Amino acid sequence: MPKESLRPEQRGLPFVLTIVMLAGLLLSACGGGAVPASESTLRIGYDPIVQTDPALISSDAEVSLANAVYDYLVDVDASNQIAPRLATSWQINQDGLTYTFQLTENASFHDGSALTAEDVVYTFNRLRAPDSGFATVDLYANVVSVEATGEYEVTFSLQTTNPFFLFDLSDNHALIVKAGTEDASDFNGSGPFRVVNFSPEDRIELAANPDYFIEGQPGVANLIYIVFQDRAAAVDALRTGQVDIVMQLPTPLYQSLEAEAGIDRFDVATNAFPVVRLRADEPPGDDPRVMQAMRLAIDRPAILELVQQGMGAMGRDTPVGPLYPDLYTEEIPLPERDLEAARQLLADAGYDEGLALTLRLPEAQNFPDLAVVLKEQLSEAGFDIEVSVEPEGVYYGENGWLEATFGITGWGSRPYPQFYLDVMMVCGAMWNEAHFCDDEFDRWAQIAGTTTDQDEQVQAYYEIQRILIERGPILIPFFFPQLGAAREHVDGFEMKAFPGRSDLRTVTLSQ
Amino acid sequence: MTAASAADTPGSAVPAAGRRSLLILRRLFARPASAVGTSIVVLFLLTAAFGPMLVPYGANQQIVADARQAPGPNHWFGTDNLGRDVFSRVVSGARDILALAGLGTALAVVSGTSLGLLSGYAGGWFDEVLMRVFDSLLAMPALLLSLLLLGTLGPSRKSVLLVIVVVYTPIVARVVRSVVLSVKSKGFVEAARVQGAGLPRILFWEILPSTLPALAVEAALRFSYAIFLVASLGFLGVGVQPPNPDWGLMVKEARFFVSQVPWAMYFPAGAIAVVVVGVNLASDGLKRALQSDELEAP
Repeated sequence: MPKESLRPEQRGLPFVLTIVMLAGLLLSACGGGAVPASESTLRIGYDPIVQTDPALISSDAEVSLANAVYDYLVDVDASNQIAPRLATSWQINQDGLTYTFQLTENASFHDGSALTAEDVVYTFNRLRAPDSGFATVDLYANVVSVEATGEYEVTFSLQTTNPFFLFDLSDNHALIVKAGTEDASDFNGSGPFRVVNFSPEDRIELAANPDYFIEGQPGVANLIYIVFQDRAAAVDALRTGQVDIVMQLPTPLYQSLEAEAGIDRFDVATNAFPVVRLRADEPPGDDPRVMQAMRLAIDRPAILELVQQGMGAMGRDTPVGPLYPDLYTEEIPLPERDLEAARQLLADAGYDEGLALTLRLPEAQNFPDLAVVLKEQLSEAGFDIEVSVEPEGVYYGENGWLEATFGITGWGSRPYPQFYLDVMMVCGAMWNEAHFCDDEFDRWAQIAGTTTDQDEQVQAYYEIQRILIERGPILIPFFFPQLGAAREHVDGFEMKAFPGRSDLRTVTLSQ
Repeated sequence: MTAASAADTPGSAVPAAGRRSLLILRRLFARPASAVGTSIVVLFLLTAAFGPMLVPYGANQQIVADARQAPGPNHWFGTDNLGRDVFSRVVSGARDILALAGLGTALAVVSGTSLGLLSGYAGGWFDEVLMRVFDSLLAMPALLLSLLLLGTLGPSRKSVLLVIVVVYTPIVARVVRSVVLSVKSKGFVEAARVQGAGLPRILFWEILPSTLPALAVEAALRFSYAIFLVASLGFLGVGVQPPNPDWGLMVKEARFFVSQVPWAMYFPAGAIAVVVVGVNLASDGLKRALQSDELEAP
């Protein structure tokens, strides 16, 4: 008989358990302390924050903190419309190439210096400097110049017309920093809150800016970001009253709060979506009938019900979703589920024995569930789908996702749809993961992105949606909702599609 | 060689194989704990063999109208978030996990036994090198080693099988080697050698029977660890891919919905726990049965 009664893994177990228990005790001692009791302290449960320079922020939590410390020139409101912020008014020249903004004269940075046109000029020049390496360089490539045409007046000149330029100016990174700032991670903004204590792994404490340029804002005396490594813990903290607001909730967590007393839930429409795409530049996707067969084979209501538990909006295989009511259309008929027709199309495309494909996807959100449901539905029409779930770092790493033949990718919500066309759908676009090239599509995308004639823009977007439904290489089965929850004593909070951009200035706390 | 007395020869010291098996089986059922364990194992093996033919629904069949239903007469274990019958999935998953863990263990036992026999008998530099290689493999926790291997091989059934073989071969080989070391100088081995028997005959005919009791217990123990490993890898998302009804994967998929459809998590988790406990109890019983068998041997 072997004498070694404890195998290595057995010997290790008690030790590991002890460490885990000790760590748990230590963490609960450090992190579980009570938030200072104050009626006017708003506490938000969020992810850890890494980047603090507005030009470099990317996560929702980072944007939220920056949005509290700094100000945008113009903002996007909860109904997805452009709203004034530091700019109180603006004019657009008739040719659509010159934008002039009047700034508030009451804004000042937290160090006491006044915020003037020079600061706005400096900020945008910093964001568009070609050697800066910032993500905004491409966004503002169309800007010819940014000039201070008065102490509180800024003028932007564009190379070509851009009907969405105001949205571009409200890009997440476009927060105004003080002129001359090289490393903008010092929190010297003009925003409604000042950073008092920054412990990025634990909590970030802010106090209301008493000199904020809007009278009566912000509505709370203190703001605290409490860091949670996972959303379920944040929701538990919301339940027990340790935090007031939690956003970006997965559907099951959101639904678990349904019967919870004292908690209000928010369900906001967004244009975030999973795109199921088949490369159009190689077999089998180079024959559009294959994708048409998939379109006929999927059962959209069932997908929404099973994968999303009925929450969100049904997709129509185009990135132009109902979030953009002026441009979105339901007039173009989407084929009804017809398995016989799908099988026939597949046979016409030369796959009368069926078609085997590997569906690659990152392990993110509920993409694995979507893949499993698609696999079953498509199998009824002769597709044999093998699901391959990969860690996010593997799927997106080294741009492997752009090479995958058949894959699912997640796209975030944007305040206007032109972004998707320009970076994801036009021929040769940086993230054209479906490798789609269609002259007619490109022509309409070009018109949609430059025309200042609203009728022409609506027409262009109609044609874009028609082309994608007729012969596009993508399936967009649904749009995600943005889900959040708050304690019911939180008033005046309106969650936005991009929750980090939610306006905390107007929030007040009742008894 | 007269030293090769009858008492030294394993073959003459044990009852006939059939009688011995019956005896061991009787002892297994004599103790309540091992009787329960053995019954569980038998039940799960029967489930794995015939269950998939008897389940009311397909393991991956999605019934939209029945999504997220609590256990009831139509769905004994309820349905999961995608409208799949949890009972059908758990039963179908039994075949997957037991076949994968069983085959992996069998291969690990074969390769571990061969290497252990050879290493223990040959000794010298071969033994030294092989044992150091095994030491280095054993120095890593099994799960970490598995993750490293799967990171290289990519997630699939074959990869998981290979992982089980690589992780458990060294352990089996060490156990076998330790028995070989104590047996190889005995008279009956010496006798075979003098009679001119070849290496395979000495290893597999003369020495192997002496390792069988230890090997049987070790194999049973490895089997339970293999089940746990397959489930863990499924849970971590690096093993069997969806929508396979792998128990670990089912627990992983259902954990987000634990407040809404707890049954989708508890049943596969319970199945893992029950089968692992069952195999452990059975292997413990087997060990005792074989030990008393050895004691009683003349």
